[in-house]
Amino acid sequence: MLPDELKLKLREVIAGAESPREKAIDVMFEIQELQGWMSDEAMVEAAELLGMTPLELEELATFYDYIYRSPVGKYVIKVCDSTVCWLEGHQRVVDYLSGRLGIPLGGTSADGLFTLLPVCCIGYCDRAPAMVINKRVFGNLTPEKIDRVLGQLAEKADFSGSE
Amino acid sequence: MPRLVIDEREIEVPEGTKVIDAAEMLGIVIPRFCYHEALGSIGACRMCAVKFLQGPFKGVQMSCMIDARDGMVVSTTDEEAVQFRKRVIELLMKNHPLDCPVCDEGGQCLLQDETVSSGHGVRLFPGPKRTYRDQYLGPYIKHEMNRCIHCYRCSRFYQEFCGYRDLGPLQIGDRMYFGRFSDGALESPFSGNLVDICPTGVYTDKTARFKLRRWDLERAPSLCNQCSLGCATVANGHYRGVMRVEARFDSEVNGYFICDAGRFGFSYSNGGEGRRERPLGPKMAGAPASGPIALAGAREALENIAAKYGPEAIGAVGSDRNSLESQCMLALVCKTRGWLGPVFFSDPVVRRKTLAAVEALDGELAVSMREIAEADFVLVAGADPLNEAPMAALALRQAARKHAPVVVIDPRSIRLPFDFEHFPASPEEIEKYLGTLLRMAVEKDVAGLGKEGEEFFRATGFENFEPPAEMARLSELLGSSKRPVILCGTDVSVETTPAFAAECARLLRISGKQAGLFYLLPGAGSFGAALLSETAEKTFGSLIEDIENGVVRALVVAESDPFHFYPDRDRLERALSKLELLVAIDYFPSETVRRASIFYPASTIFETGSTYINQEGRVQFAQPVHRGGAPIRGGQHPPRVYSGLVPGGDHLPAWKVLWQIAGMAEEIAGGHGDISPQNFIPAALPAFDGLGAERGYPVDGPRLFAAKPGFRGKGGSAGGIGGERGEDPESFDLLMVEWMFGTSEFSAWSDSLDAALCAPYMSMNSRDAARAGLRDGDRVSVELDGGTFEIEVCVSDRTAGGVLVVPRHQALDWQKMKDFPVRVSAEKIRKI
Repeated sequence: MLPDELKLKLREVIAGAESPREKAIDVMFEIQELQGWMSDEAMVEAAELLGMTPLELEELATFYDYIYRSPVGKYVIKVCDSTVCWLEGHQRVVDYLSGRLGIPLGGTSADGLFTLLPVCCIGYCDRAPAMVINKRVFGNLTPEKIDRVLGQLAEKADFSGSE
Repeated sequence: MPRLVIDEREIEVPEGTKVIDAAEMLGIVIPRFCYHEALGSIGACRMCAVKFLQGPFKGVQMSCMIDARDGMVVSTTDEEAVQFRKRVIELLMKNHPLDCPVCDEGGQCLLQDETVSSGHGVRLFPGPKRTYRDQYLGPYIKHEMNRCIHCYRCSRFYQEFCGYRDLGPLQIGDRMYFGRFSDGALESPFSGNLVDICPTGVYTDKTARFKLRRWDLERAPSLCNQCSLGCATVANGHYRGVMRVEARFDSEVNGYFICDAGRFGFSYSNGGEGRRERPLGPKMAGAPASGPIALAGAREALENIAAKYGPEAIGAVGSDRNSLESQCMLALVCKTRGWLGPVFFSDPVVRRKTLAAVEALDGELAVSMREIAEADFVLVAGADPLNEAPMAALALRQAARKHAPVVVIDPRSIRLPFDFEHFPASPEEIEKYLGTLLRMAVEKDVAGLGKEGEEFFRATGFENFEPPAEMARLSELLGSSKRPVILCGTDVSVETTPAFAAECARLLRISGKQAGLFYLLPGAGSFGAALLSETAEKTFGSLIEDIENGVVRALVVAESDPFHFYPDRDRLERALSKLELLVAIDYFPSETVRRASIFYPASTIFETGSTYINQEGRVQFAQPVHRGGAPIRGGQHPPRVYSGLVPGGDHLPAWKVLWQIAGMAEEIAGGHGDISPQNFIPAALPAFDGLGAERGYPVDGPRLFAAKPGFRGKGGSAGGIGGERGEDPESFDLLMVEWMFGTSEFSAWSDSLDAALCAPYMSMNSRDAARAGLRDGDRVSVELDGGTFEIEVCVSDRTAGGVLVVPRHQALDWQKMKDFPVRVSAEKIRKI
């Protein structure tokens, strides 16, 4: 069940749109902000608010990389596997992260802190290889830089600023 | 009209024709997966690549995406195009499981055909194949996603063409999946078409799963006789059973598709278990008898009755599921033998409504379903397309997709798979809404209507009627439309409405529009029944009185079950037990059959050639697909009795049984040998002249109209009725209605449709419900003259005030009313 407060907010967001379904992504982001991911129940409720069927919302949710249909860690690390990053050693970055966190691509660490996923081009080609963690982007990745970033994350409970 | 050259042959095609269709006109079928004429082009599969040698496009292009143009020279066999298509197949086959030996699509699979024809044979890619978890999609469709080649046909058909929203494309890239949000039965009552439309075996017919191979089947062009539309089907027989029904393309009627009731509602023909076991053997006084003995026995018994009481003591009863052949034979028997009838209708009002519709249709007004799909404004009056004639709802949707406004004037809370305007009018008010909307639309140029038109126009005026605000906008749209269609039902509407709707359509025509008219009739054989009962006015209700008065002593009931339709079951039972002789001819194990003194099994539409005239007057013929008989199935083998006959093969076409038991052999075919319907159909009615020997029997396709164009001057009756309620404003009109599943005889006797049934409910208006102290979901008992029935209440704002809408559902014991119309006062509805 979505909290009433959130529902109220979502209704407002939807009311501002010419047709409700154009706010589908925004609504799912709002819910994810609060709950971390889109559960089946959240999908059904969000669809109802948007006047869509759960299937129609699912078509969108499963199309986009940034909507999670299964639980993810607190920090979602997405390593770019697009052409330039791939040339600049994206596989080394993935291997290093996998080894350090003890999870394969698509996995979530046992402490629930990290999820490792691939992403296709985040526009950081000039600073390849690159990754994005939640809403922060990191380029020119080296093992040292990754260590530093992950160290910061483990220390800081809060991680909302941008670099 | 562009002229182009394809594979060195020239062809001229209509403007806007795609190259892929132009090639098909030449008999060149370019391989394709995503392209389907009904769905249009998206160019997703890349399979229809051809090489353009000259003209505005050059090189390898997708033939489904390019309109034919003058001067194009196209090659489908150019090496570059052939290699392109071979690579596409190779990529599509990268993940295909190659499970053809265990796939129901094997042998009728587009992917199989095109893979073989492209020459692809060895998978070079060494990686693993992607696999999916399949979903449960309900009782009819089996899901097998691993076979998918991502052509999008299913989701485009399901969402765009049909307007249902629970099956679609999910995921992205290599994980692309077609399915539902979660496991569950598909909501669309057109879901069976997924089986036909999927180019491979992702969706297969669950009811036929693992039972058959395409090349083992006996196939024949057949018809659906479950509603009045008469959609074209292909029936598939095997081992003396019907195994599957598929849609058959008919450009004017159903297009490429059929509904699920028509596709899966054939199992009655194979017989079911227990009380649904099809009666395949003749019976006399409840005991099995051989065919010739039963026929001779019936003939003798009928002759005795005729000798004792006169021939008019024998009543002949048919129905709207009779083929035209049987109906004509019934009419002929009554004419030559002097039997009473033929009786095709239960209710005189329904007979008159059907006849009015049949008499109003003329060559100018009548439109086909294809023309509905091309209409730019549709008025639906007193009809529930999805429930009464499902494919008509799909045709309406195609019009709505092209932005034609659809206005529904009906007391029921109509559901359709698209947006429409609904005026919840009671049956008496339908003409008021229809007439007013029309009046407002043509008011401006009333001067040009001519004398008759003006007269009719004046008659559309209704006093004390404040049209809803929405009507102004709609009437403007109707006024500016060019091809409006009026779709009129004959079930809930009052007696005058069918004729009134025809006058409205004529008025639209003389105001300069290409207006059309489309009726929904009670059943597949209604058109023929109405024509044949034009002079024989008897209905089943009055026949019951004749039995009670001792005028009628014997009944011959051909493919009809009064227990299904007669509103007072007690009275019917009493009347039938009073008869000296009841001869039943049928393929359903009905109560009438059970009570018959002599029973003879009738052939189904799958076993004998059957002509039906659909609701737009189109004469269509269903060819027999197999000889029939006791099916071989479920480990049971028919009885091993030494005999030259097919086990369970005694059944005959109902008309042939009638011919024999009425002793008509002397009159027709000179007393010996066989007869053919071509000998007797024209003799039954002058209107059927064209269906007989001279033009050649069977006739399939042309339309037959009873009417000549022009005003009838009968439509004005509407002015008089203005929705006055009965003496007791607190009481309700009980409207008994059809549902897509659960109200027809086919559904009662087909176990294959059980899975699609939902529990019956009674709809009523929310204000009425509040006044009666009822809430949505309440269970109530409704007291009628002959007892009560219990039912759940469904409250809706969109149900008209003052009516109770109840389906004639097989799970509901509703036949406890004296006669129609039925009014129920509020205190007779009690919450339980």
